[in-house]
Amino acid sequence: MAELTLRLWKDQVSHRLMILMGLMVLFLGFFIGGGLLARALPVLQHHHWDQLLFSSQWHPTQGQFGLGAFIAGTLWVTFVAILIAVPLSVLTAMFLSEYCPSPVRLWLKPGIELLAGISPVVYGVWGMLVIVPLVRDYLMPFFSEHFPFFPFVSENYTGFSALTAGIVLAVMVSPLIISLLEEIMHSVSFGMREVALALGATKWQMVKTVVLRKVSPGMVAAIILGFSRAMGETMAVLMVAGCAMGIFPHSLFDTAYPLPALIANTYGEMMSVPLYDAAILLAALVLFILTVAFNMIAWGILLYLENREA
Amino acid sequence: MRPHISVKDLSVQYGALTILNHISIDIPDKKITAIIGPSGCGKTTLLKSFNRLLDLQEGAKVSGQVLVDGEDIYDPGTEMTHLRRRMGLLSQKPTVLPMSIYENVVYGLRIHGEKNKSKLDQAVEKYLREANLWNEVKDRLHDSASRLSIGQQQRLCLARGLAVEPEIILGDEPTSALDPVSAEQIEQRFLALKNQYTIVLVTHILRQAKRLADYVIFLYLGNLIEHGPAEKVLSSPRFVKTQAYLEGRFIEEFPIAAELDLCGGAKQDFPFRFEESLRGLTEGQIFKTLVDNEGLLRQILDLEQGQGHKVLEVRQISSTQWEIIIEKRGIGYSI
Repeated sequence: MAELTLRLWKDQVSHRLMILMGLMVLFLGFFIGGGLLARALPVLQHHHWDQLLFSSQWHPTQGQFGLGAFIAGTLWVTFVAILIAVPLSVLTAMFLSEYCPSPVRLWLKPGIELLAGISPVVYGVWGMLVIVPLVRDYLMPFFSEHFPFFPFVSENYTGFSALTAGIVLAVMVSPLIISLLEEIMHSVSFGMREVALALGATKWQMVKTVVLRKVSPGMVAAIILGFSRAMGETMAVLMVAGCAMGIFPHSLFDTAYPLPALIANTYGEMMSVPLYDAAILLAALVLFILTVAFNMIAWGILLYLENREA
Repeated sequence: MRPHISVKDLSVQYGALTILNHISIDIPDKKITAIIGPSGCGKTTLLKSFNRLLDLQEGAKVSGQVLVDGEDIYDPGTEMTHLRRRMGLLSQKPTVLPMSIYENVVYGLRIHGEKNKSKLDQAVEKYLREANLWNEVKDRLHDSASRLSIGQQQRLCLARGLAVEPEIILGDEPTSALDPVSAEQIEQRFLALKNQYTIVLVTHILRQAKRLADYVIFLYLGNLIEHGPAEKVLSSPRFVKTQAYLEGRFIEEFPIAAELDLCGGAKQDFPFRFEESLRGLTEGQIFKTLVDNEGLLRQILDLEQGQGHKVLEVRQISSTQWEIIIEKRGIGYSI
């Protein structure tokens, strides 16, 4: 009897412990958001919100805290990164899952996953040493000569640019996306592939109409995961994006100054300037909200696609 | 009986494992052929060798020939997409594609380039009717196919397979995942379709084979044991292993008491050597002989009638060699 009581007691405790932990994780997000909001409140009370969010005037000593250029920089760099990373990742994952002979796959996959574990600062250094000269000496001259229109026109000849940051970010997040995509593509049942082939589909038709269709919800999820990572990435971006103050990027070759880089660069310095601290925490809050918003959108798409399937 | 599919000396190996062992058989045209046998004896492998889905299995090694309408499909020049189009496949578990009912039916037509909307619409109705599903789904053709019950899904798979106008329907235990009513519906469909299509069914349900089959193939451990018209194989099988399987008994390998290799020997010499070997055995003992030409094989098989010995099994072991297993019987034996 005592043994049964103990077992039931353990059952209850483990049950409650799990609820507690689950709630804690859930509330962590709210606590972080709430904390940031509380600390950013002073600057929100002194300035109008649209000036804070859309103005590019960032002169803390003069009391101007326009985050517009930083927000635009974040979105621009992330957008470029995803534009490069998505085709790269989807095609690589497709190759690994569908076309690659399995011994090769066995070697390639861990290799790619290894890339995901490399420290961002290493990617930053690599970006400075390889991508910056590539952009400066080849890509930018080529594009400004042959495509002299948006989004290729720029006065920035340093090679430190949104495109550079985008490339580095794309290389950083691709391993993650590839590894997730490959996993979900590989999980499409053999029976389903067999159906398509048995009806006379070519391999590419089978991949396109069955595998890609089946994994589309997972694909969206994997891409958004990469997107969120790219948006929050700090170190590598800070090293190669140029980070010039107060400029809205108008071109791939313009510098960009994304929010994470701003926060990392300035937080803890010049804290005597009034409202500076609050403005930086507002930047953090904006980044937080952007990330959450993108995740929500992704979630929505995911639900839509899954509903269409089921 | 005109063969639609002709299998000639087909062997399949996965690495060191032999799945099919020198199978030679003809599948009759516009009949239902059932492949029976215990699990893991190569039934599905044989079926999938017909539309070359075997090729997709990594490490599968195929030798021999499969002729469909006289054309060797293992010829390197064979166009796979057209070959497969000629055969509809129904798998064990109904597999609907992740799209609507309508799209499932027209999937095959679309990948072969049919774009005409009214033709597609017609095909959907025609083949859903043929699969006896139209009345159940006609109002929700654009709903996701995965919402259908499992029996409806299998009928949808049938409609999808029929829509590409195949000549052959391959069924890999197509009713094994279904409830009795749905299974009955699928069986009824097969009976209705058999005048237009050559149907090959893998089944482990003997009663199903009895209900449906015109022709039966019995495989055991990768060997072709017996084949022939259904009424003959199922009610009076010739070989011991078939009898055992049909009666639900355990199938045993035979204890071989003596062996005789007749390969390469002079033909006129053979009857003498053969009878001498048999004479050395007592009644009921089992004797194995190896021959390398079909004439000899026929002669030995005639012994069953002529001298009363019992031929237990004939097994092809290479493209030119056969193994015959005979039990010595005393009754009726005379020199």
